[in-house]
Amino acid sequence: MSRWTPRLALVCSLAVAAPLARPAVAPLAAQRPAGTVVLVLPQTPALPIPTLMEGPAAHTANFDVADQLFLRLAVPLPGRSTADERAFEPQLARSWSRRDSLTLVFDLDPRARWHDGVPVTARDVVFTFDRARDPRVAPRLARPLHWLEGVTAEGERRVVFRFSRAYAEQLYDATFHVQPLPAHLVARLSPEELQRSAFAQAPVGNGPYRWVRAVAGQTVELAANPDFFLGRPGIQRLLFRIATSPDARLNLLLSGEADAVAENLIPPLANLERLAPRRDLRLVPVPSNSLGYLLFNQRDRADHARPHPILADVAVRRALVLALDRQAMARAAFGSYAEVPVGPSSQVLWTRHLAGRAKGPDPALARRLLAERGWRDGDGDGILDRGGQPLALTLQFPAQSGLRRQMALQVQAQLRAVGVRLDLVPLDGPVWIERRSAGDFDIDFSSASQDPSPAGLLQSWSCGGIGGTNVAAYCDPRVDSLMTRAIVTRGDPAPLWREALRQIEADAPAAFLYAPTFVYAVHARYEHATLRPDSPWANVWRWSVRPGAALPRDRVSAGAAASSAAEAGR
Amino acid sequence: MARWLAGRLAQGVLTFAVATVLLFCLMRATPGDPLARLAGERQIDPADVAHLRARYGLDQPLGRQFATFVTGALRGDLGVSITYGRPVTALLRERLPATLLLVGTVLLVDFTLGLWLGVRQALARGRALDATLSTLSLAGYAAPSFWIGLVLAWLVGVEWRLLPAAGMADPLLAADAPWATRALDVARHLVLPALTLVVVSLAAAMRYQRAALLEVLAQPFMQTARAKGLPARAVVWRHGWRNALFPVLTLFGLWLPLLASGSVFVEAVFAWPGLGSLAAEAVAGRDYPVIMGTSLLVTVLVVASALLVDLAYAWLDPRVRHWT
Repeated sequence: MSRWTPRLALVCSLAVAAPLARPAVAPLAAQRPAGTVVLVLPQTPALPIPTLMEGPAAHTANFDVADQLFLRLAVPLPGRSTADERAFEPQLARSWSRRDSLTLVFDLDPRARWHDGVPVTARDVVFTFDRARDPRVAPRLARPLHWLEGVTAEGERRVVFRFSRAYAEQLYDATFHVQPLPAHLVARLSPEELQRSAFAQAPVGNGPYRWVRAVAGQTVELAANPDFFLGRPGIQRLLFRIATSPDARLNLLLSGEADAVAENLIPPLANLERLAPRRDLRLVPVPSNSLGYLLFNQRDRADHARPHPILADVAVRRALVLALDRQAMARAAFGSYAEVPVGPSSQVLWTRHLAGRAKGPDPALARRLLAERGWRDGDGDGILDRGGQPLALTLQFPAQSGLRRQMALQVQAQLRAVGVRLDLVPLDGPVWIERRSAGDFDIDFSSASQDPSPAGLLQSWSCGGIGGTNVAAYCDPRVDSLMTRAIVTRGDPAPLWREALRQIEADAPAAFLYAPTFVYAVHARYEHATLRPDSPWANVWRWSVRPGAALPRDRVSAGAAASSAAEAGR
Repeated sequence: MARWLAGRLAQGVLTFAVATVLLFCLMRATPGDPLARLAGERQIDPADVAHLRARYGLDQPLGRQFATFVTGALRGDLGVSITYGRPVTALLRERLPATLLLVGTVLLVDFTLGLWLGVRQALARGRALDATLSTLSLAGYAAPSFWIGLVLAWLVGVEWRLLPAAGMADPLLAADAPWATRALDVARHLVLPALTLVVVSLAAAMRYQRAALLEVLAQPFMQTARAKGLPARAVVWRHGWRNALFPVLTLFGLWLPLLASGSVFVEAVFAWPGLGSLAAEAVAGRDYPVIMGTSLLVTVLVVASALLVDLAYAWLDPRVRHWT
């Protein structure tokens, strides 16, 4: 072996490394500053195909990309009642009307085209809803469509939806959940074949952006659809970068390699300090569908047939809620970007402010309520007891969640102040979920993502949900009645929802801790950069780059992007 | 040699089979379920989860699931990822090159720069250079790789903007950019994650090399070489270094699979699309087919690297040529 071998290799390594520190040459020829958005996703959008985004594929990265490719019949206007049929914006459907209380008729926009140029027809809608309503294919979609009896085509452009019962949110259910697929391309494929098909690797949609390419684990590139019938997109190219670590996502944004992060940046609040001095970035707060709460199990965790020895008592549950300073905890975690909800209401629900403001804290009242139920500190150890049994509970939470760990410590301290011993049980994510689903807990630190419709509350907060997602077995027939009437009423459902939420708060099945506002950071060079609560990036096509503010990456030629898309399509 | 090689291959196949059974059993013994989280976090009804469980074959008895996996694996089909909805073999094929590039670069630096520095240390034993290099390398070895990664990404990528903060390639590069441009772009992205891993791994190569060479330098044949009047450089590199390579080769054999699967944090911090991050995501989501696929790939690397090391031993030292 040559004596020079190690040294030679070292010299070669350094020689190769030397030019690396040079910044990359601007890669694309500048023709027209049409605009680019580089958006960082926390997961790989491996399957952004309607009806296939089920199970573990039902994540926001897939939804974010699918929302650029596939339109709905219509979308609800943010913040408006999902029961109000005037509060929807047309997309694939140009208009809709009622034949009777059970029948909705949609007329498709004749300008709507798939990215391969074929017109969007009633057959596409019928085909996709047939798949979506099959619980073996798309259980996530089939559940909210259970009152949809059938979808039929009348000619090329008219679709008729028939429901099995009259209720206020028929239009919402007919439009929000399902994005039609191109039947002419996928109808011959079974769901399993579709998942493995070339279509799944390069989807053909009808939205403002068309598929260009995906680089495994790194990027997905979309190009503006120049023939988009609702208007030409102001942003020519949309690049999704994938970074699973929050640090990597923030670094990409702060280093100028990305224009936005598709993720709420608060908490930690320290992110605000890092972003505040940056003049090139703008914070965009958006009402979120997220909700955090302490769920009180009302069944004995060892024997589900019996009531929980402590938490089945509504007075004890109320006392626990009153002992907590929820406002202070929410402020500590989110700053001004969260509110304490009354009942299970995230900010995306139009019903969220109907029931007034959350009460508390009132530790004195909490102690009195507990004393009235026989809980006293008999042995002077600071922990209340009754009949020799201490008032001791466990609180389980996913160990990976820093937010929940931080709040659990505060909850522990605040309950200790009223004589309740709370043992914290951090669990590995899958184990936590397994125990939660099995009802094997005293108190669970839960988090939920809600649909914009309050009708979804029925799943987790009604007697009918027991055995399903109502894992804590909360049951109040009055709440059931109020919610059911609110859903089916032909009149104004708001008073019924107000009563239902107040009653849930009074029953204290959970301590509702926070309903956050999500805070996104977006590059300041964009105009009209609004985000939707239900799908933050769905309006990117309406954005544009402010004149004179374009970056080198904005100089993408429309022709180049379109030809890339066409090449990808071939 | 053919007989020896056949024996080693048979041993490798046996190792692989045992590892497959163990991995499958251990994975299923771990609490948690890939679909249970849907019932909890996304508040999906258990009846709907049951539909999905049936779709992925998770409702079948364990024995049947194992048989299905083995028959599929023998045909080269490792199943479909529950998270990605794509064949596991395709995912591994996509992610393997990134990992090999990262690990290969780190091993190259460790086993060139690291060995050279180890030799320098051995020759300067007890002097300032030896002490300084030992302190620096051990400090790097002691630092957690994710922390070094975070600091480098923030300082070099965000504050100084000298190199990309994350990713493996600039997504703004045109698909038809020249080969050299693309290679340079990947190299720029490679520097920080590779440097992070080198900082924490270089010390081991240096220490192994230093200790091995010191032992060899004390051998009688080294005195003979010096007595023959050979130049010092020839004594060290031709006679000493070659004989001090054995422990280092063992280290190489151990590290190849370890780095491939153990660069999880670094891949995450730098959004490097390799096997480590794929495996970490799979474990977090209990994506059984991907866990099996990545684990079996690492098993193959272990078996292959052990075989390679044995071949290298024989190449370096005729006395250990078992087949002769």
